[in-house]
Amino acid sequence: MKQNNMLAMILAGGRGSRLHELTKKVAKPAVSYGGKYRIIDFPLSNCANSGVDVVGVLTQYESILLNSYVAAGRRWGLDAKDSGVYVLPPREKSDANLDVYRGTADAISQNIDFIDTYSPEYLLILSGDHIYKMNYAKMLSYHKECKADATIAVIEVPMKEASRFGIMNTDNTGRIVEFEEKPEHPKSNLASMGIYIFNWKLLRRMLIADMKNPDSNHDFGKDIIPTLLNDGKNLYAYKYKGYWKDVGTIDSLWEANMDLLDKNNELDLNDKTWKIYTEDVTALPQYIGAEAVIDRAFITQGCVIDGEVKNSVLFTGAKVAKGAKIVDSVLMPGTEVAEGAVVTRALVADGIKIGKNAVVGSADSQNIELVAKRVKGDE
Amino acid sequence: MSKAFGIINFAGNHIQVDGLQAYRPVGAFSFLGRYRTIDFPISNMSNSGIDNIEVYVRRKPRSLTEHLGTGRHYNINSKRGQLNIMYTELNQVGDIYSTDVAAYIENMDCIERIHLPYVVIAPSYMIYTADYSTFLEEHIASGADISMMYHSVDNAKEAFLSCSVLNINKQKGVLSIEPNHGNAKSRNISMDTYVMKTELFIDLVTKAHKLSSMYTFSDILNEECENLDIRAVAHRGYFAAICDFNSYYHANMDLIDLKHASDLFDPEWPIYTRTNDSCPTQYFEGSKVKSSVVSNGCLIEGTVENSIIGRGCVIKDGAVIKNCVISADVVIGRGVHAENLVVDKHARLIRGKRIIAAPEKPGYIKRGDSL
Repeated sequence: MKQNNMLAMILAGGRGSRLHELTKKVAKPAVSYGGKYRIIDFPLSNCANSGVDVVGVLTQYESILLNSYVAAGRRWGLDAKDSGVYVLPPREKSDANLDVYRGTADAISQNIDFIDTYSPEYLLILSGDHIYKMNYAKMLSYHKECKADATIAVIEVPMKEASRFGIMNTDNTGRIVEFEEKPEHPKSNLASMGIYIFNWKLLRRMLIADMKNPDSNHDFGKDIIPTLLNDGKNLYAYKYKGYWKDVGTIDSLWEANMDLLDKNNELDLNDKTWKIYTEDVTALPQYIGAEAVIDRAFITQGCVIDGEVKNSVLFTGAKVAKGAKIVDSVLMPGTEVAEGAVVTRALVADGIKIGKNAVVGSADSQNIELVAKRVKGDE
Repeated sequence: MSKAFGIINFAGNHIQVDGLQAYRPVGAFSFLGRYRTIDFPISNMSNSGIDNIEVYVRRKPRSLTEHLGTGRHYNINSKRGQLNIMYTELNQVGDIYSTDVAAYIENMDCIERIHLPYVVIAPSYMIYTADYSTFLEEHIASGADISMMYHSVDNAKEAFLSCSVLNINKQKGVLSIEPNHGNAKSRNISMDTYVMKTELFIDLVTKAHKLSSMYTFSDILNEECENLDIRAVAHRGYFAAICDFNSYYHANMDLIDLKHASDLFDPEWPIYTRTNDSCPTQYFEGSKVKSSVVSNGCLIEGTVENSIIGRGCVIKDGAVIKNCVISADVVIGRGVHAENLVVDKHARLIRGKRIIAAPEKPGYIKRGDSL
C-alpha cells in the first residue's frame, strides 16, 4: 500500500457453470491451468509483480478450496509486514444481516469497512478468472496522467466478436463517451476486461447510494459505469495489448492450454521478469521413460511418461503408461492413463483414471470431451 | 516435537569432488536436476520431527544460504523451529586443522544453548532417506551410548573409497572405524550418521579437541569404541555417497531409472526443496526425449537421452545430449553434440560442435563457461 496507495479487490465469487464438473466443487478462479497454476494465480501474481501488495479476494461460490488457497499470501510474496491477501466471503455484521453478494458492486459495498481500514486513494477491481499478464502500476500512471475518475482496461477484439463483450466507445483522447453491454451493432471493438481503477472516495459515495437503490443490479457494468458516465465523470480506456483470455467454457479452457504449445506464445510463462507464482508442490522432476515419445508438449514436475504425448498439456503428477497415446488433450493434476489407452481432443479432470486400452474423445469431434469420471478399461 | 536437535555436517577433507566443489560446498550441489544434496538430510530431519537444525559450512556459504533461507520450505515451523547456518570462519577446506570437531568447538556456545537431550548428526554429502525418529527411539531403548548407521555394500573395492567402514561384532557393536582401503568387496560403509545424548556429544568433542587439533569426530569415536557402547544400525534402501566426481555423476545417473528412484522417493516421505517458480517445460516439435529426468522451466527442441536436465535449460534444435548431468540454466546450442558430461550451472555450449568424453571418465564443463 505504501508504494502506490492502491488496494486491489479480486472478484472471485463466480461459479463458472459452463465449466460443468470442473466447477462442481471449486469456484472458477481455483480451476487448474497451464500445467501447474490455478487461474487466480494470474491476477495475484500480477498484483505482486506490480507492487500492489494488499489484496482482498471476494469469494462466495464453493469457496473452501479457494479460501485456503489464497489465504497463503506467501505463495505470491504477498506476506511482508504491510502486505497481505485477505479472504472476504459474505459475513454477518452488527448493522446488517448476512446477505450474499448480489452483484459485483455489492461485493465491494459489503466490504467498505475493510477497504476503509487501509483508506487507499485508489481501488483496483480485478476479475479472478482471466488469464493474462498486466502491469497495474502502468495502468495507475495512466489513470493519474488522465486525471481520470475511473479507468477501465480494454482490449481490441475482432469486430465480428465485439457483440459478445461490454464495448467502450471513446473519443480521440481515449475518454469513454459511451458504454454498451453486448451491443447488437457495436461501434467500436474495445472490449472491457473487467479491470477498473477508481478513485476510492468517489466510488465509496457511489456504492453507498447504489446499495440503497432498489432498482439496481449492483453491478459495475450495468450500474456503476453507466451512472458515472451519466454524471459526466472522467472515464478513460486503458488499452492493453497482449494475451488475455476469459476461460468460460471447456472449449476455451482447452484452447487456452493449447496456446501454451506455440513456440513464441504471447503469454510467455517463461518470462523471468514477470513470473507467475503458484503453490509449491513437492514432486519429483519429470520422468521420461525409455519408450516415451514427446512431440509438442507442455509438461510439469511430477509427471511420469512412458507412452506417447503429442500436442498436449500435462499437469502436476499426470501419468501416461507405456503404449498409451495422448493427442491434442489436457491432463489435469493427478490423472492416470493406463497402458494402451488413447485420449484425443479431451480434457481429463483432476485425479481421473483412464483404464487399459480405453478410447476417449475423437479427432473430429466438434467440442472437446470433458472426462470427469473414471473410464474403465479392459480387465 | 523431537527430543533431538539436528546437526548437518560438512563434507570433511577426505571428500574431494573435482570441478563442482570449487564453486560451492557438496551440500549445495545440484542433484537430480531440481534438488540440492542437502535437501535429503534436512528433509529426513524435518520428516522425523526434528525442527531445530544446525547446518555447518566452511566455505562459500552463499549458495547454501540462498537455498536454505528460513527453512520454511522444509516444513520446519518458522516460530518454534529453526534452521541455522553455522559458518566456521577459522576453517578452510583442505586445511588440516579444518575438522568437524574444530567447527563444533568454534560454535560450542550455540550448541550448549540448545536444551534438547539428544543430537542426530547427518552428513551433507550422502543421499539416502531414513526415519531418525525410529533411529532415536531404538537408540534410547537399546541403552547404548551411541548408535550409528551403516550401509552394507558389495562394491567397496571400486566405490566408496573415501568413506569409512565399520568393523562390527555379532551383537552389532562397533569395534572400530577405519578408512575404506578398497581391499574387500563387502563392507559396512559408515553413513556418518549418529545419535547420542547431547551431553556425551559435547564431552566427546571437547575430548577430541584436547587430544589432537586434527581429530575428526569419527577419529574420536574410533578411539572410544572400547570404552563406549557404540551400536551399528543397518540402513536399507537407496544409498549414495558423493565423495568424488565419478560418484557424483553415477549417483545422478542411477536415479534416471524410476525403479531405483522409487527406492529413494516415497510419497509418504517427501523430499523438500526451494521452489524457483519456473513454469512447466516446453517440448517443441521435433524434440526427442527418452530415458531422462527433466526439471521445469526448460525449452527443448533437440534430442535428450539418458540424461538429467536441470531447471531452466535451453536445448536447441539439432542438439544431442547423451548420458549427461546438466545443472540449471544451461544452454546447449544448435547442432551441439554432448556426451558423458557434467555441465555446471549457467554454462553455454554453443560453438564446440562435439564435446564427448569417455563413458568411463565423464567430463566436466565449468560453471558459467562458454564453449
